[in-house]
Amino acid sequence: MSYLLTSLSKKHEVDSIIRDTIDKVLVLRFGRASDSVCLQLDQILSKAARDVSKFATVALVDVDSEDVQVYVKYFDISLIPSTVFFFNAHHMKMDSGTADHTKWIGTFHRKQDFIDVVEAIFRGAMKGKLIVNCPLPPERIPKYQLLYKDV
Amino acid sequence: MATLADSFLADLDDLSDNEAEIPEDNEVDAADMEEDIDGDLADLENLNYDDLDSVSKLQKTQRYIDIMQKVEEALQKGTEVSIQGVDLEDDPEYQLIVECNALSVDIENEIVIIHNFIRDKYRLKFPELESLVHHPIDYARVVKKIGNEMDLTLVNLEGLLPSAIIMVVSVTASTTTGKPLPEDVLSKTVEACDRALALDSAKKKVLDFVESRMGYIAPNLSTIVGSAVAAKLMGTAGGLVALSKMPACNVQLLGAKKKNLAGFSTATSQFRIGYIEQTEIFQSTPPPLRMRACRLLAAKSTLAARVDSIRGDPSGKTGRAFKDEIHKKIEKWQEPPPAKQPKPLPVPDSEPKKKRGGRRLRKMKERYAVTDMRKLANRMQFGVPEESSLGDGLGEGYGMLGQAGSGKLRVSVGPSKLAAKVAKRFKEKNYGSSGATSGLTSSLAFTPVQGIELTNPQAHAHQLGSGTQSTYFSETGTFSKIKRT
Repeated sequence: MSYLLTSLSKKHEVDSIIRDTIDKVLVLRFGRASDSVCLQLDQILSKAARDVSKFATVALVDVDSEDVQVYVKYFDISLIPSTVFFFNAHHMKMDSGTADHTKWIGTFHRKQDFIDVVEAIFRGAMKGKLIVNCPLPPERIPKYQLLYKDV
Repeated sequence: MATLADSFLADLDDLSDNEAEIPEDNEVDAADMEEDIDGDLADLENLNYDDLDSVSKLQKTQRYIDIMQKVEEALQKGTEVSIQGVDLEDDPEYQLIVECNALSVDIENEIVIIHNFIRDKYRLKFPELESLVHHPIDYARVVKKIGNEMDLTLVNLEGLLPSAIIMVVSVTASTTTGKPLPEDVLSKTVEACDRALALDSAKKKVLDFVESRMGYIAPNLSTIVGSAVAAKLMGTAGGLVALSKMPACNVQLLGAKKKNLAGFSTATSQFRIGYIEQTEIFQSTPPPLRMRACRLLAAKSTLAARVDSIRGDPSGKTGRAFKDEIHKKIEKWQEPPPAKQPKPLPVPDSEPKKKRGGRRLRKMKERYAVTDMRKLANRMQFGVPEESSLGDGLGEGYGMLGQAGSGKLRVSVGPSKLAAKVAKRFKEKNYGSSGATSGLTSSLAFTPVQGIELTNPQAHAHQLGSGTQSTYFSETGTFSKIKRT
């Protein structure tokens, strides 16, 4: 958890931030402080937060608190960390070649990758699209398997 | 010698006002000439090259002797009573200083005249020396050292000149076209050199005296640049009032050495700074800031000189204030720039791209434009199957490329729009319509039955080319009638 980014643990906090972020991409990271991958993602987010501050807001949601389990269930968050993108209270999907388009699982290889993803979402949202393509080449997209959830 | 004097005087014919006098001078004896000649120092046409005294009279004048005497006394007395504040103009010391300034300028002029004299005499012996050694005093010293010697390896010029110049001088001397001087000419030349050196030392004495009094004369100026430099500036300008009337850019150049020697690179020559270079403020600034510091110094010292010329601030407070200001400014220049804050990235697509236009961009775009060949290949004629590169409809289709009848796939390059406009303007400028048409029409007329008809090979391609260019709008024409409303 970076001290520069807002971290949320209550449902109404999450509600308000989703409602109040106007004309900016909202990046919500669902994760916990003990996970190492999550910490890696947190560091990248905190470094990039200032750079994209003109068109994006970054916030962290603790997945272990009871209040936000509603959201965890809604977004079907099972792998940690998961990042969900919003624009003007619309949920933005991104096709990165993986099975799940509704969220981004895992961390980014570089700060620039994160910025590229946020920019793609912003451009698509400004055009009115609800799903965008991922600008990263496949080798930089973390691979994961959803199989064990289906089992 | 007579022929030499003749040729010189003939040259001066253009300059002289009293032409009647000159033919007379030629015949009259040397002793008589002195009586005819005017006592004016700078009178060119009266220069008699045989005798030094007629050329340089300063040392004989009463004024010179008086002032030198007073200076000697004052120097021996040392610093005594300071100048009374209010009635500066009446104070005898101040008068002396003013006269000293004028005298130093006169001495300067005198030295130039004597230098010319020495140079003209020594030309027989070593003509190239004058272009190698510019400074009059250095020239005089070198001439005195060399004397009538033909072999320069026997002469030791160490200490008189920088070693590079000594080398050039020795090399030039070995190939010089000069001949040794006759004895009397040589003695006159050496005497002139001595006189020049004496004048130079007198000038130094005068300047020393002025320098010692500088703190009372111009307190503000001497606080900023130091009393030695202040004295030199005042001396070169010709007085405090003259110095205060100069603009600061001129003050910066007072005392600047001119003329880089031929063969030495001008890349390292420092740009045009005079006596200001010798001030301690200038010497203590780091080299990258020196030009700015010089300008600043010149400006502030001009202001101080102006204050001093009207005795506005005898205590020197203004000078100290200026000096502090200068120090502060120089320090500020040396501060590191403030650290850069990383800026957040701009919102994507919020700043519209600056679209450029103009001839240059159009020429750049022409390189990527769709060519005539591509245009033809993209179109097809109705009802006519197109050929393709692999035959039978496989491979790339050729469209209308080979179909005009010649069977060639090549399309000659039609005139590009830019080139057409340029050509049109060129034609309008130069030719106007001469009435003749294509250069390929000949006066010989062959009938098609008999012989060969010269065809214009470009006409064919133009037919095709015009298929890709619009036929309704002309490429080069403008409006036919423009009514001014």
